[in-house]
Amino acid sequence: MSKFLLLAFRNVFRNRRRTVMTLFMVGGGVAGLLLVGGFFAYMYNGIREGSINNGLGHLQIFTAEHFTRDEVRVLDTGIDNWRQVAAAIKTGAHVRGIAPRIEFYGMVSNGVKTSVYMGSAVDPDAEKSLGFVTHITSGQDLDSKPGGEVEALLGAGLAKSMNVKVGDGLTVLAMTSDGALNGVDVQVAGIVNSGMKEYDDRYLRITLPSAQRLLQSDRVTNLVVGLDATKNTDSVYDALAPGLRGQPQNLVLKKWIDLATAYNQIHSLFNTIFIFIGIIVFFMVLMSSVNTLLMSMMERTREIGTMLAMGTPRLWIIALFMAEALLLGALGAAAGLVAGNLLASLIDFFGIHLPPPPGSTESMKFYVFHVPMLMFGSSLLVILSMTLASILPAIRASRLQIAEALSHV
Amino acid sequence: MEEIVNVEAVSRRFSLDSSPAHHPAHSFVSALTHASLRVTAGEFLAISGPSGSGKTTLLNLIGCIDQPTAGRILVDGVDTSKLKPAGMSKLRRERIGFVFQTFNLIPVFTAAENVEYPLLIQGVNSRERRERVAAALESVGLSARANQRPDLLSGGERQRVAVARAIVHRPALVLADEPTANLDTHNATQLIDLMHGLNRRLGLTFIFSTHDARLLEHTERIVRLTDGEVVSDSTTQGGSRE
Repeated sequence: MSKFLLLAFRNVFRNRRRTVMTLFMVGGGVAGLLLVGGFFAYMYNGIREGSINNGLGHLQIFTAEHFTRDEVRVLDTGIDNWRQVAAAIKTGAHVRGIAPRIEFYGMVSNGVKTSVYMGSAVDPDAEKSLGFVTHITSGQDLDSKPGGEVEALLGAGLAKSMNVKVGDGLTVLAMTSDGALNGVDVQVAGIVNSGMKEYDDRYLRITLPSAQRLLQSDRVTNLVVGLDATKNTDSVYDALAPGLRGQPQNLVLKKWIDLATAYNQIHSLFNTIFIFIGIIVFFMVLMSSVNTLLMSMMERTREIGTMLAMGTPRLWIIALFMAEALLLGALGAAAGLVAGNLLASLIDFFGIHLPPPPGSTESMKFYVFHVPMLMFGSSLLVILSMTLASILPAIRASRLQIAEALSHV
Repeated sequence: MEEIVNVEAVSRRFSLDSSPAHHPAHSFVSALTHASLRVTAGEFLAISGPSGSGKTTLLNLIGCIDQPTAGRILVDGVDTSKLKPAGMSKLRRERIGFVFQTFNLIPVFTAAENVEYPLLIQGVNSRERRERVAAALESVGLSARANQRPDLLSGGERQRVAVARAIVHRPALVLADEPTANLDTHNATQLIDLMHGLNRRLGLTFIFSTHDARLLEHTERIVRLTDGEVVSDSTTQGGSRE
């Protein structure tokens, strides 16, 4: 068996130029997949952690009603006893903190112009303790205990639309939980640029107590749970979910991935693109390898004839060609892994920036992750492709007419 | 003496693909016509004749790498016409050794590995392989060149490696197709002596095709072919079998 593999190995290097060309092709395919896949992995990671750190958190608690019906009045599907729930969860393993939120909407006016806003009320201290980032381009974040007027953060688009800057005043209008119209004067504490234009055109943030006064309710929409690491999401979910069922209100726990619609869409889209690229690489290697291996078979016709004449079983000939292709695939994959990882490291070291993606105002860094699973998958793909490519030449070789093969020139 | 080969009224016709279908008489060429031959164990037999006389065809048929259109061939008591391809392959692997005009060594294998190959495909264990390869190489005087690849060997040495490869698995029969055709006189003489010595010393049966007079001089029995027909079968001790 070892001699048989030795024969296959030496045959691989018979025509060194052709072998090198094949290794370039196979290795190029693997390196390409590593770079594309590594960049996608970086992108997924960036979007995931960005979403979590921008306020999505790792887990969120809602009432079950929140997902079964639309609110007739603001906060009528909100959580009542949120302070007790938060206190119970905060002691759990891996839990860094809890941030209560109210999602609301209404109109904002500068006295001349009125515009629609999407409001978010937060506890600034809780948000800060969880490391949630607010991208303030001017002014400052909300003060949890403001001395004077109610403070507000405005999206850059909304601030521009309302023609206000830091320190200016606005009137925020909303329907209370009882269905009455209520208003509160706010002072612009800061301007926010999240990078998402549609979001910034409508974004308004005030503190939780201000929103509860405006909405005339003690409820919150949800509780955002921050963990020490994203990888602990599943285990904390499994630990917390049963405890929530014993609460007076029917509460549900949601993982970040269940709420990150944009992340899931992007993940799905780019996974499809990656699979498509993988298929192209697979067929590229397959088609060109069939040609290379057929040439190799033709050149060795007399030798194969000799081996068959000496009584070599035809299955051995098939196995020999397939072993050669498998070795070539493995060597190409190894070359591709080295080249791909080296290129990825160089790209990461020098740092390349891409233009802002659609819907974003910030440029994107081209960074490539080294993903072991991707390395394994890419290698397997090209080895499989090479082995499949060898089937036709191997069968042809095994079916050679010995007498004709021996007289082949 | 034990009969190793029995060729009984064997014919071999090859179809000509380029012949028009409506000319059946011209769509085949006869390479061998009603050839008969009996070879006993330990013989050193030459098949001679001009180019195109059917020497290689007859050797291919005896060597089970081709099948006759008519007639039958028994090798070492086995009726090859009744064998399936796998059976023919097994017969070749175990009972027949081949020496080719152009040596046909595996270029990526060393001399020793080439000699080892027939044992490898028979599944002989590595220790026995080593011993038998060493003995075979010694018998052809190439022990010192065991680790050289064919491209570093002379033509004569390559053909001696081919002879060692043909005898290493102790076949009943060694078939050699024009073994001296690509050798100079010195190497050809050496090879003839070598094959003759192996024939005498080990009792190996050799059948070879040749029109090399140097080789024919050393041959006890010569079968002559012309236009695919056996025209004479003679021994140098005088007993003509025509």
